[in-house]
Order: sequence, then C-alpha cells, then structure tokens
Amino acid sequence: MTKTADIVVIGGGVNGLSCAYNLAKRGVKNIVVLEKGYIGVGSTGRCGAGVRQQWGLEENIILARESVKIFENLSGELGFNTFFRQGGYLILITDEHEHEIVAGTLPLQNRLGVPTRLLDTKEIAELVPGLNLDGVIAAAFCPTDGFCYPYAVLWGYAEAARRRGVTIEVNTEVINVEARADGTYTVSTGTTAYQTPVVVNMAGAKTKDIAAYLGITIPTQPFRHEIAVTEPLKPFLDPMVISLKKGFYFSQSIRGEIVGGIGDEHEPSSYQTGSSPEFLLRYAKAIRDTFPALGKARIIRQWAGLYDVSPDARPILGGVDGKPGYFHACGFSGHGFMLSPVVARLMSELITTGCTSIPIDGLNLARFDGGPVTKDPYVVG
Amino acid sequence: MAKTILCHCEDIEIDELYSALEQGYGDLETLKRYTGIGTGKCQGKCCIVQTLRLLASLQTSHTRESMMGDPDLIHLPTIRPPVLPMRIDDIADMEEDTP
Repeated sequence: MTKTADIVVIGGGVNGLSCAYNLAKRGVKNIVVLEKGYIGVGSTGRCGAGVRQQWGLEENIILARESVKIFENLSGELGFNTFFRQGGYLILITDEHEHEIVAGTLPLQNRLGVPTRLLDTKEIAELVPGLNLDGVIAAAFCPTDGFCYPYAVLWGYAEAARRRGVTIEVNTEVINVEARADGTYTVSTGTTAYQTPVVVNMAGAKTKDIAAYLGITIPTQPFRHEIAVTEPLKPFLDPMVISLKKGFYFSQSIRGEIVGGIGDEHEPSSYQTGSSPEFLLRYAKAIRDTFPALGKARIIRQWAGLYDVSPDARPILGGVDGKPGYFHACGFSGHGFMLSPVVARLMSELITTGCTSIPIDGLNLARFDGGPVTKDPYVVG
Repeated sequence: MAKTILCHCEDIEIDELYSALEQGYGDLETLKRYTGIGTGKCQGKCCIVQTLRLLASLQTSHTRESMMGDPDLIHLPTIRPPVLPMRIDDIADMEEDTP
C-alpha cells in the first residue's frame, strides 16, 4: 500500500514524539510517526529520566536550561502529569581534579542563569542526611535540576500530538528509506510505502542504521547502560546524587523507588540490552559505599537501555548537505531525554523555517569531518 | 461496590485496568507501565497472568470493542532479574566470581 505524508518521523521515543507534537503545533498537517515497537520501547523508556543543567560547555548549558524551562510547564502544556520534580542534582566531588573542573565551570553556569552552587560537607549532610562523606570534599548542587517519569512524558506528547492530528503507528518498523528522483522520499515498512517530502530520523541508537539507507554515515556507537530499582521507600531523598568520576547516579522516584545506575568503561559497543549480574554487584557496592543505610533496601528489578554515543558525547542535530528534506537528531550519549523538549522545538523550527531560535549549527554532522572535537567534562558513565 | 484487586503489591484494582484500556493503553507492556501492574515486589508473578487472561477474554468476548487489542501482542513482558527482591547489602557482599 502506498500512502502520502507531509512529514514522516521515524522513532516513537521522546524525541520523535515531541518533534511531531511541535511540528503539528506549528501547523504541519499529515504527520506520521513510525515506531517499531510500543511507544518508548527504545532508550526513552529505559532511561534514568534525570534532567540537569550542570554542564561544562556553553552550548550544552543553554540547551539544558531551555529544556528545564519547558519541563517546568510541560504537564500543563500537554494536559498530562509528567511527574516532573525539581529535587536538584547533587554532584559529589572526591578529588582536586574534579573540584577544579566543577568549580571552574560554575561561573559560566551562573552567568547563563543556572543557579548551581558549591556545597561544603556540612551543607551536603544537611541536604542529604545519611550520605557517606568519607572522601567527599565538596559537591555542586543545582536546585532546579530534576527528573520525570519518562513514560508520562512520552504519553503526554503522544496524546497531545494525536489531538493535533498526528498519526502514530506502533509495531511498525521502517525497513528502507529511498531518495526519489523528484527530491522526495519513500519510507517503507513491511506493509506500507510512505511518500513524503520530509523525513525526520529520530530512531535513537538505530538512527545511524536508518541514515545508512540514504548513504549517510553517522559516527555514533550504541553502548548498553544498566539500571536497577529498589522497592518503594518512604520519601527521604530530594536530589539526584551523581558522581562524575565513579560514573554512578541514583534518585528517588515519585513512587519512592531508588532508581540508579553505574557506567562500565569496559562495556563493548553493541545493541544488546540484557541484564548482567556484574552490573548489579558494582552498583550495589557503589550505592552502599555512598549511602550505607540503603544497604537494607531491596532491589526488585534491573534492566538496560542503549546510549547512542557520538565522538564528542554531544548530540548530532540538523540536516545533511545534498539531502534536502532529511533531518536527524541522535548521538545524545545518554542525555536524550533531558534535552528532548528543546531539541524537538528547535528541530521543528529548522524543519519548517530553515533556522532556529537557538543556534545548533555547531551540532551538525559535518563537525566530525574536520579536526578534533571538544568533549564535555560533565559526561557520566 | 466491591473492589477487585488485580495487583496486590501495587494495590491496583481491576477497574484501573479497564480504565487504562478505554484510554487506549491496550498492550501489556504499556499497561504495565501505565497502571503499575507487575512492577511491585512480586514483579508480576501474581498479576501478570491474571491480566493476560483478562485481555484474552476481552478479545474473544467481543463485548467491549474499545478494549480489543492485537492478539499477537498478548505475551509475557521480559522477566528481569533478580527473581526475588535482594538486599543491596547481600548483593554487595557477594564475590565477583560467585556463580
């Protein structure tokens, strides 16, 4: 069967759905979102759902700050409770090198309007009683950082998009994308060929595979990251607690569960999302070291998702020279959920007007053609 | 009116499942995340099969059209470790090479 669409969005994760919603809001009709499984089956539904503005590079800080502004009003905008809670992010600092990096970027964050401040150990103990402060010399705390329930954000965007006429096809995998002689594209699923002038490729870690159908090479690599969750506990932990150096993070969800993870520098690149006992052991040790009383809490479930990692751990946004009507957003390197509200808004501006209200030229694919790229020191895991 | 509890761990009533279905949250993976069924301490050992039975019966009874989903999508969600809840202390005390 052949169908036509004004825009086909590939990927029913948070970026695809929020982009479709923003495009519809800007007046685009006949938008189709194609999702290979159920909504959120990929990285969004598996993410830690943290939203932070503490970054080292100016462009990252601005994008994150704008994202938080959208998250703050998102439940009202979508008519759906996203469970966004601004408990802040507490970044534990355990050595001088880390202290130098974090203290060095605070003036930049503050100048850009992000209210991060340094806490001494006494202040940390007041904010999070029960933390083991052995080896902790200070912490950076931004009270307006926070976290959501990722599925609520997905469903909120999906329902708001549907109300504006967007078609969302689940259990529909894209198996080919072809450029046609007239400058349009054919996006093929098992049963339907969509003819469209605009393809928006937001398929998470599979974005590079979709791009490959059009001969576009995206230098991202998928890496498994694992998460575990405890039984629900009485609310006691306000902020997300993270360590840049040790690569762990944990927070208390609105249901009371402690949700967290820890990176593994030896994890090979792959698409596998199975669970490993090695992760559970590493995570349990890290959590008990950091917050000894949590040793009595019980883990009820672990799972894994993929980081779509780019060479500079920053997203790849925009179009591609010589491929008019083709756009992508990928390479979020573990931070796609927190950036999605602003990225979707900017991508919808780019697609409909050709320019964006916040510059994203520096995040285009072509930046990897040249020399070395700058990595943000605030990457975890 | 009497309440029928579907998921004891998360205290979810059967009417909450019907309400989710009516709102279009029709497949088990999504129902699990929307209602919380199967995400409690027993991780679905008690409620998931009951939910599947209900979904299957709704599909064959044809009584509530809006609740009918695709029969191919009625399957168990991925079973995640640990099989039983485990204390963080007990996990952290395990040796790296414990089988």
